[in-house]
Amino acid sequence: MTAIREPKISINGVTLVHVNEERRQEHLAVEDLSLDIVEGEFLCVVGPSGCGKSTLISAIAGFMKPRTGGITMNGRAIEKPGADRGVVFQEYALLPWKTVLDNVAIGLKYRGIAKPERERVAREYLAMARLSDAAEKYPHELSGGMRQRVAVARTLANTPEIMMMDEPFAAVDAQTRLTLQEELLRVWDEHPITVLFITHSVEEAVFLADRVAVLTPGPGRLRELVQIDIPREARHWDTISTDTRFLKLRDHVMKLVRNPSR
Amino acid sequence: MTDATYASGASAFSFRPTRAQIRGAFGVFVVFALWQISVWIIALPPYFYPGPSEVAGAFVDLIQKGILPSYLLDSASRYMAGVSTGLCLGIAFGLLIGLSRFWSRLLGPIINFFYAIVEVAWIPLLVMWIGYGFDTILIAISYVVFFPVLYNTLTGVQTVQKVLVNAMQTLGASRMQVLTSVILPSALPNIITGFRVGAGFAFRGLIFAEMIAAGSGIGFLIFDGAATRQTDRVVVGMIVMGLLWLALDRLFLRPIERATIERWGLVRAKGESA
Repeated sequence: MTAIREPKISINGVTLVHVNEERRQEHLAVEDLSLDIVEGEFLCVVGPSGCGKSTLISAIAGFMKPRTGGITMNGRAIEKPGADRGVVFQEYALLPWKTVLDNVAIGLKYRGIAKPERERVAREYLAMARLSDAAEKYPHELSGGMRQRVAVARTLANTPEIMMMDEPFAAVDAQTRLTLQEELLRVWDEHPITVLFITHSVEEAVFLADRVAVLTPGPGRLRELVQIDIPREARHWDTISTDTRFLKLRDHVMKLVRNPSR
Repeated sequence: MTDATYASGASAFSFRPTRAQIRGAFGVFVVFALWQISVWIIALPPYFYPGPSEVAGAFVDLIQKGILPSYLLDSASRYMAGVSTGLCLGIAFGLLIGLSRFWSRLLGPIINFFYAIVEVAWIPLLVMWIGYGFDTILIAISYVVFFPVLYNTLTGVQTVQKVLVNAMQTLGASRMQVLTSVILPSALPNIITGFRVGAGFAFRGLIFAEMIAAGSGIGFLIFDGAATRQTDRVVVGMIVMGLLWLALDRLFLRPIERATIERWGLVRAKGESA
């Protein structure tokens, strides 16, 4: 672990409002939230459905502006979407008419990197995701879990400063989810990057995170920040599920999520 | 219909006729036989009800005089120019209206209004303003192709998955890159559908426009034949018209549709459902 850790993303008193123009309705998603995402950390945000977790990613990605407060990255206000903030979507969001290789290389293509070079980089990240055999396939030929690994490889190949993941494993089966979580930690270990991971699963959050931010049900406010001081070497599902540190932290976070009022 | 015709289309160049092709050829033969029999029974003057032999004679005569080849060339060039102009304009305006709320509000009602005015209604005015010939026909055909292409492009643009656009933006895509790498490919199956519909309308539009506003072409052949009581020429024109559409549909439109709807569309549908 590095000695100096600075906030990569600063969220200061942010209120996020969804506006439905046709119905002229407003929905308060996040209210007065302040939270720092530290350089190099793995931060999980948990909360019940409808607490504005995903909205938070939209705002950091630059798709919506806060009603009040501000979000900065490296001290600069976020204006619009950019390649420095990668997002992994729950729906994978791969281009169905492009091969896996072309999907992973697309961010580099947008940057104008020549074909041989971007394909070399894409193959490197595919190898990292253990997907080398799938390079020439199309997304519809892959399972949900494999597609999400492609999406992670695509995001990392673009070398963003932060990777934000919006309930990325919610659509895969429970068994695959455990594998994907372990895979993600392995990849993250090889390619250290600041991660903001949104989930409604307390177990997933405690398993993955350095810190877990618990939000209250809508509108989302910060309930508590929980430090997960379980060493990285111990993060394997076959051993951690009986680890007392893990069980204690999980129960603690679970209580916070289930009794949000106190 | 689709299964049998696709199967026959696929093996059209192997010269091993399929069952469907044999049946199709038999159908054509029966129509010609009934025609000839009806000529024998009814026994009207050929200028009133020409038989297959008169029509075949007129066909050979029209080719020998060079009239039919030159008319075919005229019709084909008008058709292609009109369809490609309408296609380009339809895609351009479909994107403009589909991507910009401002342009959608500004142009939407006007375009909807003109959509209701069939191209036939324009032809007399166009003849008055521009005169007989290529330009008038070009405008009439473009007009016919424009609307189905525009509305299908619009549907395609409006049904693009928002998450794909968002994902590409977070990967650093500019607005232009989002357009070329997400929106156009997503909308392509719809654009092709609009193109196919428009190409069909345009064919009818071409014949009709040539009847009113041209001194050559297949439509003119039919119109002029009737006006000069050369009924056999009218029938030649009708048969050529049918054959032309058949060729266009089998050799051009269906292969394109098959490539996009069946392959691309399948890929897209599966990608979306997951």
